Amino acid sequence: MESLVVVLSSSCSSSSANTLQLLLSHSKTKRSLFPIFKTTHKRSAVMQMSAATDTGKEVKLWGGRFEESVTETVEKFTESISFDKALYKHDIMGSRAHASMLARQGLISESDGDSILKGLDEIERRIVNGDFVWRTDREDVHMNIEAALTDLVGEAAKKLHTARSRNDQVCTDLRLWCRDAVDSILSRIKHLQVALVKLALKNEGLIVPGYTHLQRAQPVLLQHLLLAYVEQLDRDAGRLLNCRERMNFCPLGACALAGTGLPIDRFMTSDALGFTAPMRNSIDAVSDRDFVLELLSANSITAIHLSRLGEEWVLWASEEFGFLTPSDSVSTGSSIMPQKKNPDPMELVRGKSARVVGDLVSLLVLCKGLPHAYNRDLQEDKEPVFDSVKTILGMLEVSAEFAQNITFNWERIQKALPAGYLDATTLADYLVKKGMPFRTSHDIVGRSVALCVSSNCQLQELSLDKLRSISPVFDEDVYEFLGVENSVNKFSSYGSTGSECVSAQLNYWVTNLGING
Amino acid sequence: MESLVVVLSSSCSSSSANTLQLLLSHSKTKRSLFPIFKTTHKRAAVMQMSAATDTGKEVKLWGGRFEESVTETVEKFTESISFDKALYKHDIMGSRAHASMLARQIERRIVNGDFVWRTDREDVHMNIEAALTDLVGEAAKKLHTARSRNDQVCTDLRLWCRDAVDSILSRIKHLQVALVKLALKNEGLIVPGYTHLQRAQPVLLQHLLLAYVEQLDRDAGRLLNCRERMNFCPLGACALAGTGLPIDRFMTSDALGFTAPMRNSIDAVSDRDFVLELLSANSITAIHLSRLGEEWVLWASEEFGFLTPSDSVSTGSSIMPQKKNPDPMELVRGKSARVVGDLVSLLVLCKGLPHAYNRDLQEDKEPVFDSVKTILGMLEVSAEFAQNITFNWERIQKALPAGYLDATTLADYLVKKGMPFRTSHDIVGRSVALCVSSNCQLQELSLDKLRSISPVFDEDVYEFLGVENSVNKFSSYGSTGSECVSAQLNYWVTNLGING
Repeated sequence: MESLVVVLSSSCSSSSANTLQLLLSHSKTKRSLFPIFKTTHKRSAVMQMSAATDTGKEVKLWGGRFEESVTETVEKFTESISFDKALYKHDIMGSRAHASMLARQGLISESDGDSILKGLDEIERRIVNGDFVWRTDREDVHMNIEAALTDLVGEAAKKLHTARSRNDQVCTDLRLWCRDAVDSILSRIKHLQVALVKLALKNEGLIVPGYTHLQRAQPVLLQHLLLAYVEQLDRDAGRLLNCRERMNFCPLGACALAGTGLPIDRFMTSDALGFTAPMRNSIDAVSDRDFVLELLSANSITAIHLSRLGEEWVLWASEEFGFLTPSDSVSTGSSIMPQKKNPDPMELVRGKSARVVGDLVSLLVLCKGLPHAYNRDLQEDKEPVFDSVKTILGMLEVSAEFAQNITFNWERIQKALPAGYLDATTLADYLVKKGMPFRTSHDIVGRSVALCVSSNCQLQELSLDKLRSISPVFDEDVYEFLGVENSVNKFSSYGSTGSECVSAQLNYWVTNLGING
Repeated sequence: MESLVVVLSSSCSSSSANTLQLLLSHSKTKRSLFPIFKTTHKRAAVMQMSAATDTGKEVKLWGGRFEESVTETVEKFTESISFDKALYKHDIMGSRAHASMLARQIERRIVNGDFVWRTDREDVHMNIEAALTDLVGEAAKKLHTARSRNDQVCTDLRLWCRDAVDSILSRIKHLQVALVKLALKNEGLIVPGYTHLQRAQPVLLQHLLLAYVEQLDRDAGRLLNCRERMNFCPLGACALAGTGLPIDRFMTSDALGFTAPMRNSIDAVSDRDFVLELLSANSITAIHLSRLGEEWVLWASEEFGFLTPSDSVSTGSSIMPQKKNPDPMELVRGKSARVVGDLVSLLVLCKGLPHAYNRDLQEDKEPVFDSVKTILGMLEVSAEFAQNITFNWERIQKALPAGYLDATTLADYLVKKGMPFRTSHDIVGRSVALCVSSNCQLQELSLDKLRSISPVFDEDVYEFLGVENSVNKFSSYGSTGSECVSAQLNYWVTNLGING
């Protein structure tokens, strides 16, 4: 147990003595207070030192009216420091801006402001170096940092929380964190888009089967398929940009929920932190987590896109498809089966989409039905956010790396291409060009395919006589439309798989993404 | 079984006759075809009439290579007409752009309720096309030229969703207006503001209502972004690869009010991210409304007693005669669940689907329709409820003193006197403890008592105590201070175009 020194200055007034008496009488409670009195010309100030209690627990920073400390079980259940320390950087950022503003507004002295800023720098340094001890009894990142600041610079630190609540502090921290997260994700999305475009450029001219219902549908250029993913990722990025714009408003200064009467400057702190403006309504500012819901929704849609890429490449790597081979650097083996070479990274890209969706659902369920303005439930928003962002970053990065380390098996693909009557629709178009209603041509070609099925041959292997027996409209020129290469070359509509259209798409993306060579 | 007429025109060539023979020989199969041959100068054309088979089933429009019809079980499981007929309007819009006025006649029949939807025609697209064929024959068979149900359905869906977004935006605004008007009707009313559902600080009711208006505004913003992003036309992507027929994708895109045709045909037919985005936006809106629902249900309780809904938005109990329940808001809160569920269904649906189209995707309709229908209902009912409640001024004001709502203001008082906030927080905490043991309010503590806790307290402290004084001390931008709230109200009255 600590020993305490009480110093009574000679200019102590009688009321001070009374106060001391009153306080000493509280010694029966678990909390003991031994104030040091100091009077100045104009103002009275009271200082209080944090003291250890019988149980060794620190007095809570909010403990003013409390007669008992929380039980250990409650403390363990309600602590958030184990995960929200991830917000340290942004918490300190917010505190810097707040302290600077307080000093500029004369709410704290310049020297106090400087002490606080220096203290925060030191704390950040310690955290980065791994020298900082996070304490569960200090509950969360905010209290940990503030208490550490008090240990470090004393009196001045107690002024940091002027005109601030953990309510507006935490959602400012979270917005800053999410804003940075969005920037990281945007960067990785672009990185993956570039990888896919480069993969396309490396495989010019390769025709692959296009599927619907996983049945061979029409022939497409591989480039065209890869660019479909690039389009989706572009929308994913757009969604995140919109989200970032919408979230970039500052809650600081909303305090607990109602604002404050102290002369703060919300526009100053908002600017200092790079926000567009302070939020218009203080209750909205502290209670709303829709920016997080929106971020996690965007992540979920991105994750779904990546899960589809994962599915496709896992299929294509299979023996039965055999369209692509990953290099060893992105494959794994089996501990029992010596021959195995598995595309695990993409399986996990597919699989980790589940937790991203789960993170979103957790947050939706968390927020459902919560009355205003702040509820402790909301501390549960952090882990889903951190997990969602971490996972999507990993999924994007790994997908790009996989894309950079696969080879498409041209020979195998080309050998397998004839199967599936991929040129059937093109043949129907041929008949349409000759004046036949499409429905009818569809039926004619359907019957031609049936004939191929029974004869076990390709459409281009049917003799003209055989074709004409199904429809007299068929003529010699029909063979220009049959076979996979011919078929692909017949596509010409905007956005189609025709070579020119795909070239145009590629040019668009090479320019848009700033790809050289 | 229908009787069929086969007409051989006199100009029938021998090859036509051969073809007829070939086709007649197919009569052993379940499908019989009786073509009518007609030759013209330049082109040969073949027409086919839909015919009933022995079992009475219609030949499928995609049945060319098929020798058997699907079983009834498969047909039942895979049909989508029972729900996707909701897309009829937009399916027809697309067809109209594709081949002008023919569809109008069928639309009239649907609107009049005269149209018979057939399960054996699977879905809305095939139903309408087959009906069109019944109506105008030959010409209808050309409708599907350079089109697939793949690009057809996602064009339909984008059109439907675009209209849905516009409806939702309109209802959001309607609710915002209702909330602002409710605020204007209750000027000056102070209510407890809560955190952790514990009385926190006094706030103007107007300030609280405007918090919801802010959230709804972001909800609208999200939908506007979504609408912008979805407004690109898939038509012309056909099955997945585009086509060689000389279509003009820009023409149809313009005609349907899209920004432009989509750049990549595979992307165009496979992607449902616009739906995911819409349902995400709906989910966030639903969560917001669930919070409003929770709050008003709490406030309507006996224990809170802050608001009373009128009979027109309340319901009773079949057994307990005294009951008056705020059911509409309970359901606003509760229906958020299905909106979230619709989103999750769609996310799970799309997960891991390879390109380009898979039949799974037909399952996207019902969640979309449900999500939109539900959110529209939730918005509408919330607005109606807001227009039919009274805040119980007397009850609120009587209950206001409890909860030490002026405590933080008191702490600010000490800070203004130069005390570090941490310290002032502690001082006021102890003052509250004193109140608790004395069973009184902060403003009822004598100056002596206060000075015994801290000598910094002075006579002017009472200007900061009590709920009304406390509220008036707020002055920061966006706070509950009267001026700030007035400014917010002016902003919204202007922004929403509210008169008087």
